[in-house]
Amino acid sequence: MKEIREPGISEFIGNLKNLKQSFLGSFLRSGTPTSDKSRAATMFNNFFLHIQGVKTHINTLRPTYTFGLGLISFFLLLIVVFSGAILMIYYNPSIEHAYNTVKDINYVVYAGRVLRNIHKWAGEGMIIFVLLHMTRVFYTGSYKNGREFNWVIGIGLLIFVFGLNLSGYMLPWDQLAYWALVIVSNIIQSPKEITDALGITHFFDVGGFFKELFLGGHVAGKESLNRVYALHIMFFPLLLFVFLAVHFWRIRKDGGLTKPENFVPGEDHPEDALLPKKSGGLFPTYKTYGLMELARGRTPAVDQDVENMVMSWPNLIIAELAVFVFTLACVLIYSFYIDAPLREMANPLIPENPAKAPWYFLGLQELLSYSAFMGGVGLPGIAILGLVLIPYLDREQRHVGIWFSNRQGIIVTLQAFVAAVLVNVGLLVFVVRFGWFRNWWPDIPQLLITLVNPGNLWVAFMTAWSLWVIKRTGSTRMGAIALFTMFLVSYVIFTYMGTQFRGPNWDFFWSRSQWPVH
Amino acid sequence: MHKRFYLSLLLISGLVLFTYALFAAYREATPEWKKYQAEYRRLLVLNAKDAATREKAAALKIGHRQIYLGKLNRVDRCTYCHLGVENPLMAKVRQPFRQHSGTLLANHPVNKFGCTICHNGQGRATNKKEAHGEGHETHWDYPILPLKYIQSSCARCHDNEMLRTNGGDKVVRGEELFREKGCKGCHKLNRVGGDLGKVLDGIGSQPLAHFPMRHIFGEHTVYNWLKEHFDQPWRIVPESKMRVFLTDEESDLLTNYILTLRADEVPRDYRRIHSPRAVELDGKALYTIYCIACHGDGKISVYDNTLQRTIPAIMNPAFLKVAGNRHLKTFVRDGRSGTPMTAWKAKAAGLTDPEIDRIIEYLTRERPEVPAEPFGFLNYPRDPAKGKELFEVHCAFCHGQKGEGGLGLNLRNPTVQEKIDPEFLAMTVRDGREGTPMPPFGKQGMNFSNEAIADVVAYVKQLAKKKP
Repeated sequence: MKEIREPGISEFIGNLKNLKQSFLGSFLRSGTPTSDKSRAATMFNNFFLHIQGVKTHINTLRPTYTFGLGLISFFLLLIVVFSGAILMIYYNPSIEHAYNTVKDINYVVYAGRVLRNIHKWAGEGMIIFVLLHMTRVFYTGSYKNGREFNWVIGIGLLIFVFGLNLSGYMLPWDQLAYWALVIVSNIIQSPKEITDALGITHFFDVGGFFKELFLGGHVAGKESLNRVYALHIMFFPLLLFVFLAVHFWRIRKDGGLTKPENFVPGEDHPEDALLPKKSGGLFPTYKTYGLMELARGRTPAVDQDVENMVMSWPNLIIAELAVFVFTLACVLIYSFYIDAPLREMANPLIPENPAKAPWYFLGLQELLSYSAFMGGVGLPGIAILGLVLIPYLDREQRHVGIWFSNRQGIIVTLQAFVAAVLVNVGLLVFVVRFGWFRNWWPDIPQLLITLVNPGNLWVAFMTAWSLWVIKRTGSTRMGAIALFTMFLVSYVIFTYMGTQFRGPNWDFFWSRSQWPVH
Repeated sequence: MHKRFYLSLLLISGLVLFTYALFAAYREATPEWKKYQAEYRRLLVLNAKDAATREKAAALKIGHRQIYLGKLNRVDRCTYCHLGVENPLMAKVRQPFRQHSGTLLANHPVNKFGCTICHNGQGRATNKKEAHGEGHETHWDYPILPLKYIQSSCARCHDNEMLRTNGGDKVVRGEELFREKGCKGCHKLNRVGGDLGKVLDGIGSQPLAHFPMRHIFGEHTVYNWLKEHFDQPWRIVPESKMRVFLTDEESDLLTNYILTLRADEVPRDYRRIHSPRAVELDGKALYTIYCIACHGDGKISVYDNTLQRTIPAIMNPAFLKVAGNRHLKTFVRDGRSGTPMTAWKAKAAGLTDPEIDRIIEYLTRERPEVPAEPFGFLNYPRDPAKGKELFEVHCAFCHGQKGEGGLGLNLRNPTVQEKIDPEFLAMTVRDGREGTPMPPFGKQGMNFSNEAIADVVAYVKQLAKKKP
């Protein structure tokens, strides 16, 4: 007996001693990353890490190339999901309890107020950073060279981020939530303007149908809250994560982030990289090697620009970790000082005047005030379609991975920026000062206003300007740059207009203090 | 690659994150109320008389405590800070630890009633500012009630009988004032009352947003609005026609009463309202409630600046001599359209016929024994064409070219046209209306012949058929 037991015990003790080593080894699947080979293995043996390449191009790591915008958006999403899951424990989506449970989160849940702030601000931060990320991708021409469809998926992600924010805005069931719900249901109903003008609403009330589908009735109530909740915690997140997975996977398949064709390290010299410790490594430091040693087939990154690649572990991972901690710190600081708004409980009898949508939709609401159909469906539809079509109408494959393509691109951007600011502000000043058709000819058919209103004129101007740029420069890329610049400028200007300068009855006011106090 | 940049970003962000996580954790771990609870524990230990209670006091746990009021649909967390409400040892200490004053808690145990059902404020909140709900930025519609209006909460469960003698006197006196000042002459309450002013049902529980706060000097609260509005209605609501003259004390009393007019009801087993005996109000009381605000003592007609018209003296003997009960009842029941006079019938302002009869009985108690000399309208030719000429010369100045009214009454209104018989009109024209600008056109005055008067009345009676 003794003889048999003893080797067993010593083996057990040996296993206990080696626990750290064996656990790490099994966790990383390839031992601790001490050599380039094991560093590579750490990446491609890990479920989460292998969505990234084993080696990363040093252009990807240049902070001024990406500004980490996509990463920040993704990390904000992680923060939102985590904080949201905790909020779900306390929140109750019924009109009797929703408001009270949010109050309780604020007052008695430990760190509840901060957590709610984090959820709110990280969520709204996603809108800003997804837009900025899109801007980066656009100006660096990163929608080209096989990445066309990933751009389209990105547009989908932008829409889901809007949807998530909007549906979340309605959950506290306070006055802001309720009247935003009413406004949004009216936006959804806006095709009615067209069907009314054509006199077919009676047979084909598409606006009314979607409004009813969204609200679960004719007016906002308990059914609406359930639907919005389902959208917020299930439909939008599911779609978002599927799209996001594809978005990432395609970046990987396309060989990582874009980079200039003739990349010269310049001041960003590889020596600056966090060089791996070479003790026990397989490869000497001076040797670079192609990915074909580790990956087979025609994966796009193979054998390209190898001398400018560094090991992803630890270079990329540390950069990502830094951006994550930076994002988290910023969200926490913002949430520490600024509370998410919570107004009086929803009261259908007390209309807010003006009832405003959340700030990121106020540009849309401004357009809506010109024509319900164009503001609610027409112009957003045109904008999304335009964004989707950009990579298919601009097929030039030059200057990928360079901000603004070239010197001409910078000039075109500046020109478009100045023209957009002048014309857009001028248009708004005109509308505020002189009104529009309805103020001049009260009996004018609505269809005419739907066709000719400031929003449409703006879109027509953008299109004309970009076509003129294409004609002038002979480059579709330049046309796209002009169009996209003007789109961004007008999104900001219209949103700022709706947020800052519109008061009761959507009248113009220089500041909130001039609103006629009710 | 950019090793230094990313590592320093990581380091700095990490430090900042760590610091702020600590800040946040510290802030969350030391809310306002914990300091109050610690201070209360210190007071308890200080006031303890023997070692055993001292030990017990020292063991007081600092933590969450709330009063859950399922039936009232409330959660009151006021005792997070007001810990001594039920402790007799805390009778003289400073707020928020002081014991509740008076003996009210004996019959209103805190664990059954909580606090906000009487005091208002935001029960769920756990910091002073938001719990008291004061200031616009707390976004709370029912801020804590000042003690001078606190009696209004008693009326949520108690009736006047009880309030009168048990500490609800302000509400009772407010209610009396409400009747004496004739508020219901213009305001409807419980479906009875005039229609010149706002309906008052539920006004005491209406959210802030219903009250135009622009011209309020003090804090923007409903009770401040009511108080300042009673002091100077036209300052708060420029188009207000409210006639009210109150002392400072009276406006506080009325505010107390108005705050009791709530739309929400406390559950039945909290209420101690005995079904009020149906009190039969006599004519004088009814006149006070519904008529006095405009007609005053009813002896002389006066020109009223706010209403911009002459208010007729309805208890003037000369008027009563001419106006029979039937006519008076028509006026009261159907009102006088085109004037502020409300139609008081059951379907409109809500008075029953017997009540109107009692008012008329009260109005006519000084009617002269000798009735006015009858006119005999039907004995004259009654030619409207001749009447028209006379009307345009003698009547149109006050009553308008087409009888549409001006200084005088609108003669085209349906009451004059349909309900009032020409005999009464003819007598009014002949004898005039004492105390009003209407002069007598008969022998005592303009010396019209009875024929002429009958012609004018005949013309007036067919005004409605013409276009104005």
